[in-house]
Amino acid sequence: MSRGAVLFAFNSPKYNYYSMAEFTAKRINHFLGLPVTLITDESSLPEVPNFKFDNIVLVEPDKNNIRDYVVWINKGRYQAYDYSPYDETILLDTDYVVNSDKLLKTFDLDTDFCCHDTTSFLMHPKAPQEVLSAYSFKTLWATVIMFKKTKRAKHIFECLEMVQKNYEHYANIHSFIAGVYRNDYALTLALRIANGHQLLPSDIIPWNLWHVGKNTSAYADSADEFNTEYTVMFDNWQRGKIRKEYINIKDMDFHVMNKESFMELINE
Amino acid sequence: MDTKNLIIEAKARFNHNSAKAYLKEKYQTRLIVAEQGGLWRANVETITFLSMAKTDKVILIDSFENPVEVNREELLSKLLETYSTVMKEWHQEWSELEKKR
Repeated sequence: MSRGAVLFAFNSPKYNYYSMAEFTAKRINHFLGLPVTLITDESSLPEVPNFKFDNIVLVEPDKNNIRDYVVWINKGRYQAYDYSPYDETILLDTDYVVNSDKLLKTFDLDTDFCCHDTTSFLMHPKAPQEVLSAYSFKTLWATVIMFKKTKRAKHIFECLEMVQKNYEHYANIHSFIAGVYRNDYALTLALRIANGHQLLPSDIIPWNLWHVGKNTSAYADSADEFNTEYTVMFDNWQRGKIRKEYINIKDMDFHVMNKESFMELINE
Repeated sequence: MDTKNLIIEAKARFNHNSAKAYLKEKYQTRLIVAEQGGLWRANVETITFLSMAKTDKVILIDSFENPVEVNREELLSKLLETYSTVMKEWHQEWSELEKKR
C-alpha cells in the first residue's frame, strides 16, 4: 500500500508557485514522511531546482481563468486521481503550511475521500462560514483532500471534471458568480452529485481548516527550515485606524490566503 | 525575521480571545482517535460511559454517527491515555498564555 502527497503548481505572472511547492514539499517530507508528486508545466520548471520531487508530471495547463486581473491557473485539479502514483493520496494546495503530522490521521478515517467543510480564521475564529450563495450549500474546501484509489473516489474526480467543464451552468443553478473558477465550489457540487445529492459525515475531515486570512500575515519565529512557531499579525480596522493585533502559534498546520505573506514566509 | 522586534515596532497588541480559540481548536483535534473501526473523541462523556459500563463489548455511536461495537477496556485505555496527554499539554500552553495578561 503506497502513500504520498500530490501538489499542483503552475507559475503565474505574479507568483512563483513552483517555489511554493518546493517549500511545502520539504515540509511534507519532514513532518508526514511522505513522497511528493508535483503536477506542473514545462515553463514553471526552474533551471536550478531546490528540491527533488518523487515524481514530476508535466501537463498542459488551462490558463483560462482570471482573478484580480491576473491569470490564475487552478483548473484541472480533477486530474489528481489519474496522475497520483499512490494508493492513498493527500492532495494539498501549495500554500498550505505543514507543521505537524496531523494530516496522517486522514488515512486512518474509514473513508476513501475526505475534505474540510469548516474553516476558522486564525485572528477571526468566529467568522461566518462561506456559502456558494444565500440559498445554496456551505462551501467545501479543496485545500486538503485525502483520497484512496477506489471506484467511488474516481467517480468523485470525474464529477469534478464535469462540474469544471459546465461551471457556468452550475453557477446559474446555485446563483454564484461564474467569472472566476473556484475548485472549492466545484468540489462542493461534485461530492454531493457523486453521493446521490447528499453529504456523508465520513467525507468530512473531523477538524477545521485554519486560514491565515487576507489582512493577516504569518512570520516564522526562527530561521530554522522546519520551524513550527509563528507570530500571526492582523490589521484590525477600527474607526478608520489600523490596530495591529497578534498571537503566537506552534505545531499547527495552516493555509495562507495572503499570497504575499506566503512568499515572505518561504523567502525568510 | 525577528518577530519580537516586529511586534514592538508595529505596537501590536496580543489578542487573548484569538489565542484561546486557536488553543482550543488545536487540542480538540488532538483528542480525535481512530480506533476499532470508529472515530472517537477522547472526551469526558465517552470516557465516563466506558468506565461505568460493565460488559466487555459495548456499542457506541462514533463521530461519523455509525454504531460501532468495541472492546470496552481497550478503547477506554486508549481514550484515557490520549485525554491525559493532550489535556496536560493544553493546560501547559494555556498557563503560558495566561502569563501574558
